This record gives sequence, C-alpha cells and structure tokens, in this order.
Amino acid sequence: MKNSVLTKLASRIDDATRHGKAIQQLTLTYKLDIDDGYEIQRLAVARRLLRGEHTIGTKLGFTSRAKMQQMGLDQIICGRLTSGMLVDDGGTLPLAGLIHPRAEPEIALLMKHDLSGPVTLPGAMAAVEAVACAIEIIDSRYQNFKFTLPDVIADNTSCCRLVLGGWQRPDSDFGNLGMMLQFNGRPVGIGSSAAIMGHPARALVAISQLLGAQGRKVKAGSVVMLGSPMAAQPLAPGMHVLAEVERLGRAEFTVR
Amino acid sequence: MTTTIHQTIATELREIYQSRQYCAPISTRLPDNDVAGAYAIQDINTDHWLRAGRRLVGRKIGLTSRAVQEQLGVNQPDYGMLFADMCYADGETIPYENLQQPKIEGEVAFVLGQALDGDTLTIADVMAAVDYALPSFEIVGSRIKDWKIGIVDTIADNASSGMFVLGTEARKLSEFDLRLCGAVVEHKGEPVSTGAGAACLGNPLIAALWLARKMVEVGRPLRRGDIVLSGALGPMVNAQPGDAFTLRISGLGSVRALFSGTPP
Repeated sequence: MKNSVLTKLASRIDDATRHGKAIQQLTLTYKLDIDDGYEIQRLAVARRLLRGEHTIGTKLGFTSRAKMQQMGLDQIICGRLTSGMLVDDGGTLPLAGLIHPRAEPEIALLMKHDLSGPVTLPGAMAAVEAVACAIEIIDSRYQNFKFTLPDVIADNTSCCRLVLGGWQRPDSDFGNLGMMLQFNGRPVGIGSSAAIMGHPARALVAISQLLGAQGRKVKAGSVVMLGSPMAAQPLAPGMHVLAEVERLGRAEFTVR
Repeated sequence: MTTTIHQTIATELREIYQSRQYCAPISTRLPDNDVAGAYAIQDINTDHWLRAGRRLVGRKIGLTSRAVQEQLGVNQPDYGMLFADMCYADGETIPYENLQQPKIEGEVAFVLGQALDGDTLTIADVMAAVDYALPSFEIVGSRIKDWKIGIVDTIADNASSGMFVLGTEARKLSEFDLRLCGAVVEHKGEPVSTGAGAACLGNPLIAALWLARKMVEVGRPLRRGDIVLSGALGPMVNAQPGDAFTLRISGLGSVRALFSGTPP
C-alpha cells in the first residue's frame, strides 16, 4: 500500500480516537495486510507523540483463547502504550470521548533490560524488574467493535487506557494466579493467568520475537501488558471497576 | 413421599449405569420444576445403593457457577452422593467403560475432621470441621442422552455424578487463597479450562456451608471423614478414552486424571 494512503488512514484512525467517533473498518475499502496495519499504527501513534505524549510501553492482544474467541481472530498482536493512556489507580475515567469501552484484568510487567528477537523464557524473565495487577480499557474505533486483523492492528489493537496497580517483585511464579474483574463489587469475570498461553511469561517471549522481527525492542523501563485471560466487559457511567490478581494485589477506577 | 413414578424413574436411571442406553430427559414425566420429586428419586437410589453395600464417603456440590445456574434457570446449587467405589487417587487409571458420557471439572475437595450437625451451622463451624483440602477432578456423567438436562434431570440422576480423583498433598485452609486461587486444567500441555476459587459460589467454603446446612435439613448430616467436592472452578471439558488431564490449583498442588483406552 502506498505511503500516502497509509498516512491518510492513520489520520482517520487518530481522528476517530480523538473525537470518539466510530468509523468503518479500513479493510472494507482498502486491501491491507498485517505490515500495512503496523505501519498505520506507527503513524497514528506518531501523531499522539507530536501532541506531547511519550511512549511508555507495549501491549499484547489475543494472548488467550477467550479473547481470540470473543473477537474471532487467532494471532497474537501488539500495540503501543502512550502516556496519555494512563489512568491513576483509584482514579476516575470519564466516558466522554470514548466510543464503546470495555475493561479487562491483566498482568503488567516493568522491564529492567531491553529484549528483542528470539529469547528463552528464563532469559525473558531475567529482564523483568517488577510485576503488577492492571486493568486495560479497550475501545475499538470501529463500528460495532468489529474488525479484521489488519484493522485492529492499525487501530493500535483497540488500546484506550490502562490502570496499573502497585509493582511487586517478580520472584514468585505468576503462571497460574487467580484473576478477577468486578463491577460494583460483583464478579463479572473469573479466570487464571494460565489462560495466557499456558503461562503469561510466554507472552513476553512472543512480544520479544514480534518486535524483533519489526526491528524494534521491548525497552528497559517500559511497561508490557500481557493480555487478558478472559473476555472484556462493557463499561457504563458510575461503575466502580476492580481487578484482583492472586498475590499481586489490585487495581481499580471509577467510571464517570 | 415416594410414588410409583419415582420408583420407576429411579430404577431406569440405575440400570443405565450398566446398559449405557441413555434415556430421554425424565423431567417431562414429572410436574414442572419438581425439585422435591427429583430429590425423592435420588434418595430412592441412595437407599438402594446403601442396602446393596456401597459405602457413602461424601457429597458433591453441583451448579455452583453463575453461568451454569443461569443456563439451567436456577439460583441455588444441588448435591449428589459420593460412594467409595467412585474414588480414584492421583494418576490411577480410570476405566473409561465404567463412565457415562464423561466430562471433567477441576475442584477443591475438603475432607472433614469433624461431623457437621445441628441446625445453626456457621462458616466458622465449617472451617473448624475441615481437616484438609485437596485438588480434585470430578468426572461427571449423565444417564440422560447427550446431557440434555434440566435441574430436575440432573438432581434425580445423583447430580450427574460419575467418578472423582483426589490429589494426595493435603493442605490446611490457611495455606492457600480459597477465593483467588488460580486453577487450570491442562490437556497435552494446553490450558483447556481455567478459572479461580471465586467461580464456585464466590468461595468453595460458601458452597460447603450450603451443603452442610442442606444435609442437616434432609437428615443425612456430614460426618467425620466425609469428602466434599465443592464445585467446578472452570468450564467442564469432554473426556475421551486415553485422555490424560492435569489440574493445577495455585497453592494447593496438582492432580492427574488418566482414562483407559485409546484415543478415537
């Protein structure tokens, strides 16, 4: 796909994100492949950076069967996290400007060293500084939350906001921790971190390979969101949203 | 009160364990939502099996997940009887030919060090009575063709009980997080069912309390040494001949279910 077209589509995605207005899937009009999707993502996020945000990390999508089934796709993808996406733990999230946001509980990693390309699981874990309970708020910029793989990649893998709980030492195994999402004190999702590729550390190996293949890296000091073990749940005004992960603690926010 | 129809259905269900000629839902032969009638049928078979010399070793609690309760249109769990001949140890081969349309579920099992009797039981009584917890597989089965069950069908059919497998590393309640413990059932290294303690009525001990009270109410109180299978922590999975499954529960250890036969 020509650069001028990719630039145009990136601005279309960025405008939809800024104005909270759903758009038609790009692939209904343009024949895009996965590489095109990642290039549109890069260009769209670059517009955020020009407005003063900075990159804080990376997120993974479709790392669990539950998420693949919910969205009908079967390949791990990655998106870019920027400073404007951060919501304080215990803070509020205004719904104004969002389209159809959903929340999911996740495990977040803080990196101590760079990672790029093929890496062993122990090697990947040795690069981790800390681990935390987190919430990702996703919000597809496409009508009805429907998309193909190039569409969702172009749309920065539906990334919208994230909430990070307190960082914990990564020295105990987090391969099978109970995870729970609650709305107003009632469970709306219950699962285990084992649903993330059998062990969430495998998702870190996967992102190292994925970024390495694109000539990029997981940077020291950056945050990695490993993906959700369960289907995301839609948000409504006034809701209190709480994620808990066994032993790692909790993260929460209120929807306004 | 038991009537002829209850006796007839009880006998039919019992015979299917051997014949494996699965039957149509039996609920169509009873009044709508006849839970009392369903338990009457279950009781007839429990008494029959006890007279035949089977040893009662515990209970299972079913319908403990919100999703399954919604699916069957009920708002409380159910129970079934566990006999000694249904119990396997970690890694023992389970004869597939003795099962009826088996599916497996990962659960927390409790073994009681004290009886739970009296009509004012509290959660503290239940916690004091639990000697230890174990990871366990329940191998559910149904005598109803293709598992086309409603609440009445499953209760009459001993709450769709089959066999169960107990792990062998005993843990005290204080050694793991009953509400947030992660649970994963693996088949050939793939996570085929995942969940956590809270998937069982919010906490497996809440299910055990419900059961203890119910057993007092129906006159079969839980006794010292009884095994309580508290309810599934994740979705059920079909079991085929030759299958091997591992359940891991965070803080509670693991247990394996191995089925005889060769995969289809």
